[in-house]
Amino acid sequence: MRANSSHRAAVTPYLFVGPLFLVFALFYLWPTIATVASSAFRWGMLNPWQTQNPADWQFVGLSNYADTLNSGDFWNAALNSAIWLIVFPTLVLATSFPLAILIWNTRRGASFFRSVFVIPMTISLSAAGVIWSFIYNPDVNKGVLNAVLHVFGLDKASFVFGPLELHAGRWLSDPGILHLGFADIRLVNLFIIIPAVWAFAGFGVITFSAGLTSVPAELIDAARVDGAGRLQLVRHVVMPSLRPSILVVGVVSVIFALRTFDIVFVTTGGGPAQDSEVLAMLLWKQVFQFLDTPQGGLAAAIAVLMSVAMIVIAMPYIRATLKEQR
Amino acid sequence: MSIQFHPITRRRMVAAVTTVAAASLVLAGCSANNSQPTAASDGPLSGTIRVLSNWSGSEGDAFQAMVDGFTAQNPGVKVKVDTVPFDQTQAVLTQQFAAGNPPDAAVALPGIVRQLSSQNLLMNLDPLWDTWEHDGEYNKSLRAIAAGSDNHTDAVYIKANVNGLIWYKTSTVTSAGLTVPPTTWDGFTSMLDKVKASGHVPFSVGAKDVWVPTQWVDPILLNVAGGEKFGQLQRGEIGWDDPAIVKGFTVLASLIKKYWPDNALDTGFSDETCGWVTGDHYFANNGAFVNGIVASCDPNLKPGTDYSFFTMPSYTGSGTPAQAVSGDLFVGAKSSKNPAATKAFLAYLGSVDGQSIWAKRGGYIAPNMKVPSSVYPTVNDQRAANLWPKDAKAVAGYDLDDWIGGEIQSKYRDALVDLIRTQDVAAFTATMKAADTRSGK
Repeated sequence: MRANSSHRAAVTPYLFVGPLFLVFALFYLWPTIATVASSAFRWGMLNPWQTQNPADWQFVGLSNYADTLNSGDFWNAALNSAIWLIVFPTLVLATSFPLAILIWNTRRGASFFRSVFVIPMTISLSAAGVIWSFIYNPDVNKGVLNAVLHVFGLDKASFVFGPLELHAGRWLSDPGILHLGFADIRLVNLFIIIPAVWAFAGFGVITFSAGLTSVPAELIDAARVDGAGRLQLVRHVVMPSLRPSILVVGVVSVIFALRTFDIVFVTTGGGPAQDSEVLAMLLWKQVFQFLDTPQGGLAAAIAVLMSVAMIVIAMPYIRATLKEQR
Repeated sequence: MSIQFHPITRRRMVAAVTTVAAASLVLAGCSANNSQPTAASDGPLSGTIRVLSNWSGSEGDAFQAMVDGFTAQNPGVKVKVDTVPFDQTQAVLTQQFAAGNPPDAAVALPGIVRQLSSQNLLMNLDPLWDTWEHDGEYNKSLRAIAAGSDNHTDAVYIKANVNGLIWYKTSTVTSAGLTVPPTTWDGFTSMLDKVKASGHVPFSVGAKDVWVPTQWVDPILLNVAGGEKFGQLQRGEIGWDDPAIVKGFTVLASLIKKYWPDNALDTGFSDETCGWVTGDHYFANNGAFVNGIVASCDPNLKPGTDYSFFTMPSYTGSGTPAQAVSGDLFVGAKSSKNPAATKAFLAYLGSVDGQSIWAKRGGYIAPNMKVPSSVYPTVNDQRAANLWPKDAKAVAGYDLDDWIGGEIQSKYRDALVDLIRTQDVAAFTATMKAADTRSGK
């Protein structure tokens, strides 16, 4: 009887986990294995790599990775993705954290303001890109931004500040370059990141707002009694309490930045030239646009490299979380 | 992407990180089965066919009128038209063919026709073309454009176009005291200099739509480098660093620098057209289809009298430059479940009856040489149609951008955008030499 019960106890968790694992294995694990495997073969989208047809396999070993890593297109896209990785999470944190603090301090209408900043989250990124394309329209009769600048006579102004070159008005075609010597940073990426931040900042506001409710009131009162000013309160009491929320917003933003595709696609299509082409877009182009040569293996190699990068970037967070759970 | 907010715990975050990493792998892990061709039916034409097109607005209406003409002749067939944005045609077609769910018939350009035919995915339309060629409706040169990689003709020609037409509004040109058409290249550039001296930017250019600047390349290369070199470049027999080709792009870069507006890369095609129609600019270089679009900028203008076009004069001063042409093809999927209706539909699209429907609406050139010029509604349409190379021996250059397709096309468009920004021909040549290695093989 006891043995039976013990056996049941041992099996029960697997019964609960089983269906979920099956779904995971079918829709995530298997495609992952297939993608990693397909990156070692030469194939094209019109003649896909299929596990059940070994006779058609053209094994190329690691050459898809070598070709990818030797390709200027890859490093151009990697640079643009790196810009996203740095700028996007920074701007999300820099906008959503102060907004959440301001809303937290608002005596009246906090729910209203929270809703205002969350509403853009309900819009698809593609739609956000289209909306901002209108805002960026270089025609002062159509684009709000240039219309405002036109009032001040700045809609066609150009500036040079050391290595920074700025062209007002041409937001999605040629807004300027930051010459770093080893690389030129095309500012068009920044003007695609801005609408993405606009659409995404609400996530940060909500996460920080939720975190702020857990900041112990007695801690704040004690700090006030001790004579802490507002900034000191935020820096020494609120921020440490919000560290988990900051981590969540930061990691989600990083993941979001690395896999970004849709907003780039609708605003610039990766252009002008390849100025805003990110890794996900290059992957898409390899499969669907570069049809003349079978480059599915190259696309798979890019996907694997992106995933490795994502795991490496998220590893400190995963490690910290696991450590905490232990 | 819509984002739904849920309270996120750390554990969920770990799962999310893992999931998203896996999801990006999934993106490239999608594979598909190619459908096997189905047997053709010998029964009467009936059933439904799905057609993929990329025309919208007045062109979409004109295509629908052609479809209606077909269904009027074949009332048993229902034609369902799916419309996709022009610049996504290739990607959508690829996805649908790769997923084993292609449309029965689809609009295509020569580059994609060659790719799809190389995978044995297209209907062989040789019998249709044999008849057309025999009857004098098409010639061998036109048939070559529709040829696949499988030694068959795998497409029909639905819509032709002549490019390199310099459009202008008569009143703008007259009031500036300009004489059109200029008869020499020097006369052409002098005229542009005169416009520039009056404080105007001569050309309206909608290079934000990347196909627009490609329309500049063809007539200038044909004019400066000649039809033979143009064809060799197209076929990959010579490289982009061939001196004649470099000279062609040098002339183009010079025109960009002197006569294009600064905001070319911010301006789309429709704004380009309205740019010269409203008088902000004097000219635009584009295809014959512009004739059907002018009304959207100013419906009161009369084609031929209020606005017209001329072709660029010879750069070398000898003879008439080879005509730049382009156009759209239509293919049938080999795996169509209704091959008889699909073939009949394709035959109709290439026929005099079918093409006359669109020709009557204007802004269109019928590739079928038996379509009479009397069907064209305006003098501009008739003049443009007369430029269509009906003589098989006539030297014409088919749109380089549409022809090359695939990765080279994508790189070519990017390099062209850079050329517009920098006018650096050497950099353009180096980029294209690296991207297109066909001539070195």
